[in-house]
Amino acid sequence: MIKIHNLHKKFNPGTVNEVYALQGVDLDVRDGDFVTIIGTNGSGKSTLLNAVAGAFLPDEGSIVIDNREVTRKPDYARAARIARVFQNPFAGTAPAMSVAENLHIASLRGCKSYPKKGLNATRMQFYREKVAVLEMQLEDRLGDTIGTLSGGQRQALSLLMAVINPPKVLLLDEHTAALDPKSAAQVIKLTKMFIEQGKLTTLMVTHSMQQALELGNRTIMMNKGQIIDDISLTEKKQLTVDELLNKFMQIRKQEQLTPELLAELKQMYA
Amino acid sequence: MELWIGALNLGFLYALMAMGIYITFRIHDFADITVDGSFTSGAAVAAVIIIAGGNPLIALLGAFGVGLLAGATTALIHTKLNINSLLAGILVMTGLYSVNLHIMGRSNIPLLSEVTVFTQIAKFNPGLPQEIWYTIVLTGFIVIGWWLVSLFFKTDLGIAMRVTGNNPMMAGAVGRNVKMLTLLGVALANGLVALSGGLVAQYQGFADIGMGIGTVVIGLASVIIGESIIKSRSVYLRFLSVIIGSVVFRFMIAFALYIGMNPIDLKLLTAIFVLLTLIISKAVAKRPAKRESPRKILNSLRKAIFNRWSAAVVFILILILGGFLLFKSGGSHQKIKIGLVQFTDNGLLDVTRDSFLEEMHRIGYINDKNCRIYVENAHGEIPVLNTIIDKFIRDDVGLILTISTSATQAAINKVKDRPIVFATVANPFIVGAGESDSVHLANVTGVYGGVPMDRTLAIVNRFFPDRLRIGCLWDPSQANVVFNVDNLRQELRNYPQYHFEGAHASNSAEVYQAALSLVNKNIGAFVLPPDNIIYSAFDAIVKAADNRNIPIFISDVERLKDGALLALGYDYTSSGIQAAQMVARILKGTNPAQIPFEKYTKLTIGVNLNVARKIGIEVPQAVLEQATLVIDEKPVTRGEPKRLALFQFSDHSMMEECAKGVLDELKTSGVLEKYNITIERKNAQNEFTLGQSIAQDIVRRKYDFIISLSTPALQIMAQANKKIPHVFGAVTDPYRMGVADSPEKHLPQLTGVATFQPVEEGFKVMREILPRAKRVGMVWNPSEACSEACTIIAREAARKYGFELVEATVTGTSEVMDALNSVLDRGVDIFLTSGDNTVLIAIESVGEVLKKRKIPYFGNTPSDIYRGGLIAVGADYYDVGREVARVMQKVIAGADPKNIPIQDCVPIQIGVNLALAEEIGLELPESFLKRVARVRR
Ligand SMILES: Nc1ncnc2c1ncn2[C@@H]1O[C@H](COP(=O)(O)OP(=O)(O)OP(=O)(O)O)[C@@H](O)[C@H]1O
Ligand SMILES: [Mg+2]
Repeated sequence: MIKIHNLHKKFNPGTVNEVYALQGVDLDVRDGDFVTIIGTNGSGKSTLLNAVAGAFLPDEGSIVIDNREVTRKPDYARAARIARVFQNPFAGTAPAMSVAENLHIASLRGCKSYPKKGLNATRMQFYREKVAVLEMQLEDRLGDTIGTLSGGQRQALSLLMAVINPPKVLLLDEHTAALDPKSAAQVIKLTKMFIEQGKLTTLMVTHSMQQALELGNRTIMMNKGQIIDDISLTEKKQLTVDELLNKFMQIRKQEQLTPELLAELKQMYA
Repeated sequence: MELWIGALNLGFLYALMAMGIYITFRIHDFADITVDGSFTSGAAVAAVIIIAGGNPLIALLGAFGVGLLAGATTALIHTKLNINSLLAGILVMTGLYSVNLHIMGRSNIPLLSEVTVFTQIAKFNPGLPQEIWYTIVLTGFIVIGWWLVSLFFKTDLGIAMRVTGNNPMMAGAVGRNVKMLTLLGVALANGLVALSGGLVAQYQGFADIGMGIGTVVIGLASVIIGESIIKSRSVYLRFLSVIIGSVVFRFMIAFALYIGMNPIDLKLLTAIFVLLTLIISKAVAKRPAKRESPRKILNSLRKAIFNRWSAAVVFILILILGGFLLFKSGGSHQKIKIGLVQFTDNGLLDVTRDSFLEEMHRIGYINDKNCRIYVENAHGEIPVLNTIIDKFIRDDVGLILTISTSATQAAINKVKDRPIVFATVANPFIVGAGESDSVHLANVTGVYGGVPMDRTLAIVNRFFPDRLRIGCLWDPSQANVVFNVDNLRQELRNYPQYHFEGAHASNSAEVYQAALSLVNKNIGAFVLPPDNIIYSAFDAIVKAADNRNIPIFISDVERLKDGALLALGYDYTSSGIQAAQMVARILKGTNPAQIPFEKYTKLTIGVNLNVARKIGIEVPQAVLEQATLVIDEKPVTRGEPKRLALFQFSDHSMMEECAKGVLDELKTSGVLEKYNITIERKNAQNEFTLGQSIAQDIVRRKYDFIISLSTPALQIMAQANKKIPHVFGAVTDPYRMGVADSPEKHLPQLTGVATFQPVEEGFKVMREILPRAKRVGMVWNPSEACSEACTIIAREAARKYGFELVEATVTGTSEVMDALNSVLDRGVDIFLTSGDNTVLIAIESVGEVLKKRKIPYFGNTPSDIYRGGLIAVGADYYDVGREVARVMQKVIAGADPKNIPIQDCVPIQIGVNLALAEEIGLELPESFLKRVARVRR
């Protein structure tokens, strides 16, 4: 479903702020895979997701989604297949507009927006049923603006918006990181449900080892703009959180090592 | 009633524009100021289509289209070229000015006798008063517009556009092409603005190049006022609030006029009002937001009323209404009422107004006694002009007097049912007031006249009967001005020996450049038809003409004293007087249709003989005889007070002495009393920038004589002054300063006294006292011209007297001690400082070091011995000063500095610090001591 080959991205090249965020990422995600992504801060996880979504164009390499070459396509042109939820609850919704309007524009993902009145009574009824699934007491608040919702409500809504018009690929970037534990649990529950129902190919960045192990059938670990570990479902089942954490610490130490040794270690893991 | 109805109508018309502003600024978060240009574009396109005979509705469509284009251009510049939205707007707005001029082909298109949407609407009038009928139709129109626009923003596309403005990142993520939608939004917004422009042009009866100025501000004010009245998240209510904001804004202006407030304060009032609204609505916004849905429109309207601020606005509106009713019931006296409106604060218009009022008074119409004259001024704003006229109608004036073309144009378009008399209009026919003096609109008559270019040229011809290049400057965007210039060209056909050179300036900052370009084309005279822009920068023209003594012919007598040679124009008091007489005839019952237009009867001709003398032109006797005004200030006679500037660069002791010499000599010679001269001392405090300012000030304030002391003072003064007689002194070598090549060949305005430092004399003394000394050390700053001159002489003299010169250079005082040490390390028997100011500043420290090392310190300023020097062989600057004063006396007596050669004056003076000599163990021969003039013991 997603084929990434030798992806490179430098931000602000040639300046003092130059960041080499992706340094040759190769990744092959099969249809229906649910991949969790872990890695240290600044390792390039979000950058990878952004690259897939088309928020910027890569310097080098290729991205193929659903057998379509999309490397040089802008975000809106890829949106028919890709939906995403951002880490920041404020980023994924239009705060000055109503819940219904947000849902409506999200359900138009991949379609043209014509000057016709699409938000009619039947659609409203449809959205009301949909938000009921979230169990966030949003059923009677379709007319309210997003700005009046709590972070948890927004993030649940963002998730609903991402799947309301089922995408091929779902990108989740630490979408529970800013939530309180209760809301986070609810959002994770919904995430699982939506992914199972829609059989969505998913990339999910998380900082919770627990989530990384429990969710999905595959976990990849990123460091310094590269994928340095790829843990399969069988492997995951044996791994405990502590072991995974150890692995993580190891990488931390590895950062002191030379690139050659790093490559060796990588082979070892592979 | 008309005042408020008119304000309501204008509010509706401008509401479309405000809705456009709302779309860019609020929905798209795009600070777009293209609208200042696109508003005019809409008016321009609509007007052009209408005068070409097009359907007025097509004209509106065209206006909408040109707005779309303008907006799309801005958005493309922003999205494609990644240029800041504000900048993109400024660029397009600026460019549109030219485009609009091209579309219109002139700066003003009257639509008076054309078929407009309003004449069409008027046809269906069931018999209501015109403005009220308009209100009814406009209400319907604006409701439809409101509904359409709101509906649009509820469609899928509209929602997508709103999302784009609200959260572009999310919009991209859900598949919206952000750039495309931004383009659409900005284009649509400008389309609405231009549509509004097209409507306003048809309503007021003309399109004008300046119509759009301030559109952004008016639009934003409307948006903000609206938002403060209705706070809602509903799209419908938000656009409604914008419409209400636009109407309230117009009501504010009407109210200000109603209570007699000077419209000049209106802008300040608007600014304060908007600021207050912003502050208060910010405070209100902090409260938690209320729930709202489109179905609860009525509900939220009710809530909105309870909002404190909106309550205040409603209260004001009620007050206005109440006041109006009160006034209406109480104000129905049977007096004659006249409304007088002038367009701007312009000298001619003011003269017309005042002479009108005076003449009215003289012939028996006394304000507030047997008549009431409402005097209003639109301060250059066309919408205000309309509101003033509405106010006149509301006040039920019996007659309207319009001063200026714009005021006349606005009035004759609006008012058909009562007489209008115009005054100070260059050409009433181009605005559609009539076809000829006797065939004209039935309710309109007045006084007019272009500038009599034929008579101006006849006078120019008296001065220059032969070939002449005539330079003319004008602002092409003013219809009147273009008319006058065309007129001038027309008349020039009668003078084949004259050649016309033209230049444009569209604002006063461009005038100087344009005038210079004409001067460089070798014009022989400026002939300037009246033009506010050009005349406002008249000084710049005088300046440009000054270099080549080019005479200036103008049409405004007021400007004569500012440097024009001749002014020929109508006496605008006659415009007011003739208008008053017309008004009197109408008030006595004559039908204005029966009163032909009149041209001004009185002409004024002014001559400035001072200018004539200055540029060396003889004024023909015939011109003098015609002149109604002659400016002639005879050149100042001997007895009149004169001022002499004594400019010294610093209060260095040498200069103080020199100045003292100058003052003593001038005082004792009696020249000051004889010629009634006062001396003012100026001191640059050793600062070049200060020196330059002082010099410029001396020139600007036209001192009669200048004395400069020291080299920098000479340099600065020679740079700044080319005219005032200038005598310099305390200068070592004027021939290296660029002011003179030889004593006879020097700048014409200056002469003076050169005092070469007696450097050689110094070396002679060194040899005399220290027969065995070999090496002379010296520190100097090569950037000091005077010091360099001395060093060159010193090298020569050192060789002559058998010394070796050990030099070190510095660039500033801070380096002096290091340089001194380096010189001392190389081993010297004597140290010399020859007038180097950098070293002189540190002379005490230098003296201290040399004293410790027991090295004799030679200087060349006698006063050096008081500050650390041992022996000084120099010029006596007191004597130099007296010599300078003697040269000045010749100049005061009338000699031209040009003819006075520069003289050398080096009165040698030797000073010795005996105490120091003793301390370092130096014995001085008696023969030498006898020659010493100054001794420090
Ligand atoms: N738009 C950008 N411009 C410049 N630098 C960027 C940009 N986006 C990311 N970076 C840089 O690229 C590197 C990788 O960032 P990224 O956000 O992908 O890390 P991450 O793995 O998601 O980290 P975190 O766990 O903290 O979210 C960081 O150094 C970051 O500063
Ligand atoms: Mg991240």
